[in-house]
Amino acid sequence: MATQENVALADGVDHQVAMVMDLNKCIGCQTCTVACKSLWTEREGAEYMYWNNVETHPGKGYPRRWEEKGGGWKSDQRNERAPGEIPASEDYGKAWEYDHEGILKEGEDKKLAPEGGKPEWGPNWDEDQGAGEHPNSYYFYLPRICNHCTHPTCVEACPRSAVYKREEDGVVLVDQERCRGYRYCVEGCPYKKIYYNAVSKTSEKCIFCYPRIEGEGPDGEVHPPACADQCTTQLRMVGFLDDTEGPIYKLVEQYEIALPLHPEYQTDPNVYYIPPFAPPQHSEDGETVDVDRIPDSYLEELFGERVHEALDTIERERAKVERGGYSELMEILQDTNPAEQYRLEVFGDD
Amino acid sequence: MTERSLRTFVVFAAALVLAAGVVPMLVDARPAREIPAPTVEQNLSGVDAPGWSNVPAAEVPLAAAPSGLPNAEAVSTDAVDVQAARSDGQVYLRLQWHDAQATRNADDPQTFADAAAVQIPVDTSEQPAIAMGSQSNLVNVWYWSADTGTEELLAGGPGSTTLLDNQSVQTWAQHTGSGENGTWTVVFSRPAEPAGDNRTTITSERDLDVAFGVWDGTNDERSGRKAVSQWYYLPFGPGPGGAPFESILWAIAGIAIVAVTVVTAQGIRRARSQGGA
Repeated sequence: MATQENVALADGVDHQVAMVMDLNKCIGCQTCTVACKSLWTEREGAEYMYWNNVETHPGKGYPRRWEEKGGGWKSDQRNERAPGEIPASEDYGKAWEYDHEGILKEGEDKKLAPEGGKPEWGPNWDEDQGAGEHPNSYYFYLPRICNHCTHPTCVEACPRSAVYKREEDGVVLVDQERCRGYRYCVEGCPYKKIYYNAVSKTSEKCIFCYPRIEGEGPDGEVHPPACADQCTTQLRMVGFLDDTEGPIYKLVEQYEIALPLHPEYQTDPNVYYIPPFAPPQHSEDGETVDVDRIPDSYLEELFGERVHEALDTIERERAKVERGGYSELMEILQDTNPAEQYRLEVFGDD
Repeated sequence: MTERSLRTFVVFAAALVLAAGVVPMLVDARPAREIPAPTVEQNLSGVDAPGWSNVPAAEVPLAAAPSGLPNAEAVSTDAVDVQAARSDGQVYLRLQWHDAQATRNADDPQTFADAAAVQIPVDTSEQPAIAMGSQSNLVNVWYWSADTGTEELLAGGPGSTTLLDNQSVQTWAQHTGSGENGTWTVVFSRPAEPAGDNRTTITSERDLDVAFGVWDGTNDERSGRKAVSQWYYLPFGPGPGGAPFESILWAIAGIAIVAVTVVTAQGIRRARSQGGA
């Protein structure tokens, strides 16, 4: 399989695994979140963790206000890291405990509600709130996993080299034997996608379901990460950035319509998003007007200034199809062939 | 120079040599960076074990460890009182330091626990780099954390600590008081000559270099963000209290002064007697 020379991979990495998420297909059902949770974080100390989460934007996200907590690189020179914070447990949202035992078995006369007082925040707390005013309110869903960045500041932040980028596919992992729970990686990750486990006293994160993509499961078959596999609308494509014949390469490098989240953090994520479209705004009397519902400026805040060009390209290609023409880009975005959507065996064991 | 004045000078020089050796010992009962380490018969196993009342303490100043980590210079602890002793084949160290508030658990993403450590060279004949040794000159670290307990570690430079097999370090710890009176007391104990590779063998053949580190969890200290000492030593080797460098240098200088004076005086006398002949 051809590898494009101009695809920038991290030093010492043979291939870079990548994911493209089409935000126009996300319905916020959290099936990905549950798939990930039940597979990886239903453990002691991991209750509050969502390696995969879906948050409403505009919104505060998970952990709350993660975009204001620092981390990443100060500039594209990548010679100095930006200071970062460890989010408070209240910002993640503590796992709520319910007294099922007491109410259902011992007949206690109380409402089934979280123990320890009324919660005031939790993951997905501001679901569907969004922004704007009726009739022009707007929001969309943003699924997030670890970005398995090309220049990860979590890796740079660890004084013990316990966080590392796998040579074979660029997956970023925390070596649980080396980790001593210092949490400099939690500070260093600008996406706040590394979590501290207070029971194991180590930090942990999304592992891109590496046993699944290696075919190390019970059936010995290669599977895409659980979040992608279980997605009800199949909005995720999984493959390698340097697989020049795959859809990810075409969407990211060729058409440049799949964009990293917050490129200004300078870590070069390998999870890419097709920016969301929404119906145009309405006037007070319900007439459609030619104004974008989701302000371009907001999308620029999330995806950088390249988002304008990406939106133009998508509109142009869509119009081509509307006129009866052919668009490779539109074909890729609508492809339902799993062999194209999940291209995980293209490089073999080279 | 007359014979009398020569004699006076020689006596003066000899007195200077003597004073240089004795006065520092009177002013400061032990050489710099020595931590007394007597052999004690009584029990030392515990923060308030009876044996500790007979062991003198040395105050060891601490400062922020040089580190590239964020806020590494911001540490809370500026000194640790250290007592050291040997008893029944074990080496004991008792560390006491001021900490207004004990942080015993790292049970929240933003919480770090108090901790302390003792560092000794694996090869006691050579002093390793103070910052956790180096790959060619390893150190043993006895680490205690209020949260996770005791670990016996091997290190060869910053970021390289690794758990040793068959842990042989034991600790006792207690925090008393609060605010200005808040104090941690931690006692470390390890067999002087434990089995296993890369473990420091502590013998009576030579002194033992030792350094200390303290982490204040309340101040988010962990990893290389810590208050550390310079190398100190426990005078386990032969001889009275190791090598008081200052005294030796003064003694050499004094002998040199006397020698030069005597040689000069004799030269002058010979010249005179020759001149007079």
